[in-house]
Amino acid sequence: MGSTMHLAISLNIAATDGQDVLDFGQISAFVRKTEAAGVDMVIISDSADKPSSSPFEATTLLAALATVTDKIGLVAGASTLAHQPYNLARRFASLDIISHGRIGWNATTAQNPREAANFSRPEGFSDDDFRRRAREFIDIVRLLWIGWEHDALLFDKASGRFHDPDKMHPADFTGEFFSVRGPLNVARSPQDVPVLVMSGLAGTELDFASRRADVVLLDKLEPSGARATCDEIKRRAHEAGRDPVTIKVLAMADAGPEHDGRGLEDLCLSSGCDGIVLTVQPRAAALEALVERLLPDLKRHGFAKAKPGKTLRDRLGLSEDSKP
Amino acid sequence: MSARQMKLGLFLWATGHHIAAWRHPDAHVTAGIDIDHYIALAQTAEAAKFDMVFCEDAAGLREANVNIASQTSRSIGFEPISLLSALAAQTERIGLVSTASTSYNEPYGLARMFASLDNLSGGRAGWNLVTSASPIEAANFGATGLRPHADRYARAREFATVIIGLWNRRAAGHDGESFSVRDPLDIPPSPQGAPVMVQAGASDDGKDLAARTADVVFSAAQTFEDAKAFYDDLKGRLAAYGRQPDDVKIMPGVAPIVAATKAEAQAKYDALQELIPDDVGVALLSSYLSISDLGRYPIDGQLPELPESEGMKSRQALVIEQARRDGLSIRELARYFAGARGHWRVVGTAEQIADELQARFEGGAADGFNVMPSWFPGELDAFATLVVPELQRRGLFRRDYEGRTLREHLGLKRPI
Repeated sequence: MGSTMHLAISLNIAATDGQDVLDFGQISAFVRKTEAAGVDMVIISDSADKPSSSPFEATTLLAALATVTDKIGLVAGASTLAHQPYNLARRFASLDIISHGRIGWNATTAQNPREAANFSRPEGFSDDDFRRRAREFIDIVRLLWIGWEHDALLFDKASGRFHDPDKMHPADFTGEFFSVRGPLNVARSPQDVPVLVMSGLAGTELDFASRRADVVLLDKLEPSGARATCDEIKRRAHEAGRDPVTIKVLAMADAGPEHDGRGLEDLCLSSGCDGIVLTVQPRAAALEALVERLLPDLKRHGFAKAKPGKTLRDRLGLSEDSKP
Repeated sequence: MSARQMKLGLFLWATGHHIAAWRHPDAHVTAGIDIDHYIALAQTAEAAKFDMVFCEDAAGLREANVNIASQTSRSIGFEPISLLSALAAQTERIGLVSTASTSYNEPYGLARMFASLDNLSGGRAGWNLVTSASPIEAANFGATGLRPHADRYARAREFATVIIGLWNRRAAGHDGESFSVRDPLDIPPSPQGAPVMVQAGASDDGKDLAARTADVVFSAAQTFEDAKAFYDDLKGRLAAYGRQPDDVKIMPGVAPIVAATKAEAQAKYDALQELIPDDVGVALLSSYLSISDLGRYPIDGQLPELPESEGMKSRQALVIEQARRDGLSIRELARYFAGARGHWRVVGTAEQIADELQARFEGGAADGFNVMPSWFPGELDAFATLVVPELQRRGLFRRDYEGRTLREHLGLKRPI
């Protein structure tokens, strides 16, 4: 087969049990070690559905991490309830420019009641409204990301033309939940469209993800269950007119002592997934064990061999077809 | 007591504050897509011991006319909270202040962003509260039109109350006109306790909100008298909120052009003015004078007779009179406005500029200045290497940081 087995790490920095949180030095040292070990990307989230505490919000943390790394992909979780599409599109386009094209957005697809209560939506949305709103939100963000053509910026000091106004396109979006004129006031970013990661999917979201997502994370499943879901996603992507290789499905697994390189290689191969995502607890000892024990073992079993491309899209092998 | 010293902010904006900055031969024209450029600017300002860097922001384009916009560098740039978070990892001491709108954010979300920036930087973050008056921004947030001024300020007041409560760990639970928040903030405080609050509103509502909640106020004043009047007005409002005059630092903008001789500085300024495209200058002049398009008139001729317009202020009327007396053409007048952008411009040697700053600082018209280099990086470098040492020689500015947080640099109390 010969295809690359991708390796990602998922780190939720929120402490739910009053334990010490990680500081920036600990997080950046960890991310740099995983970068050196060949990990494709780190996915960071910053909140939980029960009371928690974290010193950092994920997108701001990503900006700081982008300046101290240069190869690894950096993905932040950000919810469609806690942001406006225009603001979030700006944030991720900026991050993509800051990181020279290594950014992804893990779009939350499940409603967190804590967020609704703190973001002036005490009544929340019905599940169906929330899903339709999230889809609309994601489509607007993607539209805003491609508002400036690649060669729109001229920088022509002599003629006095900074950009070509004909290559700047408003989004002019009017939908059920949002209306957004655009264009973005951030330039086209190196990846055009930061990598869209979706997780925690079921039912209808699976269909939407098959059309839109670049990466889908599968909840912890037995290999047979993972195989069925992975096949289903690839089948639906194909039906939506995509080349199934442009959507990467990664199986999640704990980075705890119960797993070793051989077992995870078996999981990856028998599930037919494109790779795995290790979830690690935000504790110094857990991070150290992952770096010292599990990463070298995974490398021996064929993981973390992807060529570090210029961008995260290159690295994951996401082709032109996956762009909108 | 040790002598009072001025505060200095570096106002970052696109390729520079002059409208034609990007066309300067040495201006870094790709600033809006080059993070290394911004890291270098912040490190220059930090080496010069500035209190802070400051990012202006709007959630939308600045200019609706696409032809005019395409002749300026202001349609694209970094989103400032991500920009400053990147700078936090590449600097040690300098404060990091960003603008964000109360109209297009939620207090819980913005509280999280700035608290995170505050932790990433070890207590160096600040928030410049704006209410957003631009219809271009409104159209990006599903609004059909602008909120009336008073409504925007009512929302801003509620927003400020909620965010200060979240940052200062006051009892959670807010259910108000515009916002509801149930839980305490899930991000712990930084070493400075809470981000510094900055404001720049010049209206009565704006000044009252600043007197109640701001730690720093940015202002625009051309003359000493205007600066002094604003300073006295704002400081005079503090007592009503139980605050001391020193609890708020007032920092007017200044756009310096410095060189070894006055003639050289003037030549630098004139060269920049030459780079303003005529239609850009005339469009900005039309907009400044609140009159319809001046482009219909011969550009080398004098201003036509203009009817009194609603939006025209007395100061603008005086400028028109002055232009007539001096026989300025539309082109000359347009360049004058486009270059200055309503801020105080000082052209001269380091000694002359230091004299001007000293006069306003010691004359009770400013606690410090928000420095607006005409183009980057050259005019920042010139200010840092020529003017800052002169201010230090006079004992008017620090030779090194004493504190680690932005509140410590500014001499502000920790929030209670």
